[in-house]
Amino acid sequence: MPGLFARLILLLLLMSAGAIVAGLFERTISGVGLGIALGCGLWLAWDTWRFLRFLDWLRRLHEEPDAPPPRLPGIWREAAERVVRLMRQQIRLTRESDRRLENLQAGLQVSPNGVIVLDRQARIEWCNQMACKHFGLDARRDVAQSVTHLLRDPAFIAHLTARDFDHAVTLPGAVGAAAHPLRLAVRLCPYGEGRLLLISQDITIFEQAEAMRRDFVANVSHEIRTPLTVLAGFVETLQTLPLSEDEHREYLGRMARQAGHMRRLVDDLLTLSRLEDSPPPSLDEWTPITALLAQIEADARALSALTTGDGPPQRLVFPDADALAQAGEIAGAATELHSAFFNLVNNAIRYTPPGGDIEIRWTPQPDGGGCFSVRDSGPGIAPEHIPRLTERFYRVDSARSRATGGTGLGLSIVKHVLQRHDAMLAIDSIPGQGACFTAAFPAHRVRAG
Amino acid sequence: MSEKHLSSQFDSELTGICSKLMEMGGLIETQIQNAIQALAQFSIPLADEVIQTEDRVDMMEVAIDHALTSIIARRQPAARDLRLLLAISKITTNLERAGDEADKIARRVKSIVEGAFARKMPIGDLRLASNMAAALIHRALDAFARLDLDTAVSILKEDDLIDREFKGFTRKLITYMMEDPRTIGDSLNLLFLAKAIERIGDHAKNIAEFIIYIVKGTDVRHSSLTHIESVIH
Repeated sequence: MPGLFARLILLLLLMSAGAIVAGLFERTISGVGLGIALGCGLWLAWDTWRFLRFLDWLRRLHEEPDAPPPRLPGIWREAAERVVRLMRQQIRLTRESDRRLENLQAGLQVSPNGVIVLDRQARIEWCNQMACKHFGLDARRDVAQSVTHLLRDPAFIAHLTARDFDHAVTLPGAVGAAAHPLRLAVRLCPYGEGRLLLISQDITIFEQAEAMRRDFVANVSHEIRTPLTVLAGFVETLQTLPLSEDEHREYLGRMARQAGHMRRLVDDLLTLSRLEDSPPPSLDEWTPITALLAQIEADARALSALTTGDGPPQRLVFPDADALAQAGEIAGAATELHSAFFNLVNNAIRYTPPGGDIEIRWTPQPDGGGCFSVRDSGPGIAPEHIPRLTERFYRVDSARSRATGGTGLGLSIVKHVLQRHDAMLAIDSIPGQGACFTAAFPAHRVRAG
Repeated sequence: MSEKHLSSQFDSELTGICSKLMEMGGLIETQIQNAIQALAQFSIPLADEVIQTEDRVDMMEVAIDHALTSIIARRQPAARDLRLLLAISKITTNLERAGDEADKIARRVKSIVEGAFARKMPIGDLRLASNMAAALIHRALDAFARLDLDTAVSILKEDDLIDREFKGFTRKLITYMMEDPRTIGDSLNLLFLAKAIERIGDHAKNIAEFIIYIVKGTDVRHSSLTHIESVIH
């Protein structure tokens, strides 16, 4: 005890000083004793005063933690220093754990899933922004609120009561939170002593994708079954009925048409799946527009002659050589572009009556891009159908579309190809006055010749 | 839900009964949502589900009333606790009636689907009003859990919108009936259905009034909006 000797020596010094002073006046034993007692008292008073200053500092420490300790000698100084050191250590520890908690909460805050921390009575202790969005909670006001008071779906309450921690439960999200109703997969994870962590995941797009897949399979089956039924009907007729040579030829011709329709359907489906799977077309492969349009013109004239038959021919107008002199090239896969452009021209030919007009143009844009457009004088498209035209198997008039050999996939292919080439498809139409389909390519996909 | 009591037992009884009420509220919300879906999709299985669940709602109402009687008899609550318990009793009644309306919608949907003109009737026009009614009930229950006066007042204001939708829809049905008297049967069914939706909105409004009663101690039923706002501020 290093401080003890200093203290004892100080006390002895004071006692002897008292004894000496008393001895000077009264040379008796009791006089000296009185002096010693006086020295003791003096020392006690002085020490008490130092103690009081120390205590006063300790009391003030609550309000002003930075107040410097009083200047005191001896053991009081050491006591003060130790208190200060302890306090600093404590403050540092608190700050550190505060920071750790903040980091943890910030981490949970950016989680793409909703997170709610529940206490032992299933009251909300903390929740992140995503959970607020999912369930319409208020992160500050709803603290200490029973979770079942705000998540009232009977399926969730049953899940919580059953303490089923192995499965997720699917719930609708907050009412009116988005244009589409949210679907959430909610999971409860137990931790600590009877506490729960609630995690909600937005599964709206998964459910939508699943519904789309089901629709697609149903559509494809339907599309294939229709020609197949016709084909099977003719086969049965050929097998069972005695037929003349002419009838024979006619039925076989119809069967060939149905088979052809099925082949086109399968071809289109394969094209679509190739477009979905293959890597995007490179920016280094350049296709000259003049060559592309020349090929489409040849194909289109052949098709038009075939479809109009004996009626007055359709007037197909393609840009002349002068107009294409500056056309240049498009960056992208030539086969895909041909398929997309020809699909548009094909649609125009099929929907324009004999004697109608079809105009195909390539228009360079001021920003360096370019537009391929096909304008026809067909029946046009009512506005309510336009947003849905590029959906697979969407048809304005299904009987007519099938009669002209359409698969219902043409515009889906066009849209896909254009998306892969960063281009946009615009459809303009006034019912009764024809339609105009425009593929607009951005500047980085087009270069002048 | 409320301030701490000396008796924590009493506290947990109050929380328990609130939880029961909210559970019943959740069930009613699902009933309304299912009834609306049954209407939008002409789904008879969904309508049947609503009709079958109605019994569970009734049982919950009886259970809550029983628990209320027992708490009032044993604890003899005063002031805010008494108001809370009285309001719970009234809100339970309103919720049960909103459930009845969902049940009515489901029954009407069944007879409309079986009718000859189902596809021709202007059912899409009811979507907005029915979603508004469902949202009002949802917000009323949220406001009760949080004892949130602002939301309660906004519910009182928005109920008028549903009433307006209902009037517009009635006028439209009259034109249908005048054009083709064969649609009168289905039109009447739709009219009752629209009325049920409008009533759900009214029940949400009643619940909102009881929230103000719990917090402020003033009965604001049958008073004007300006009076209610002056009570709150």
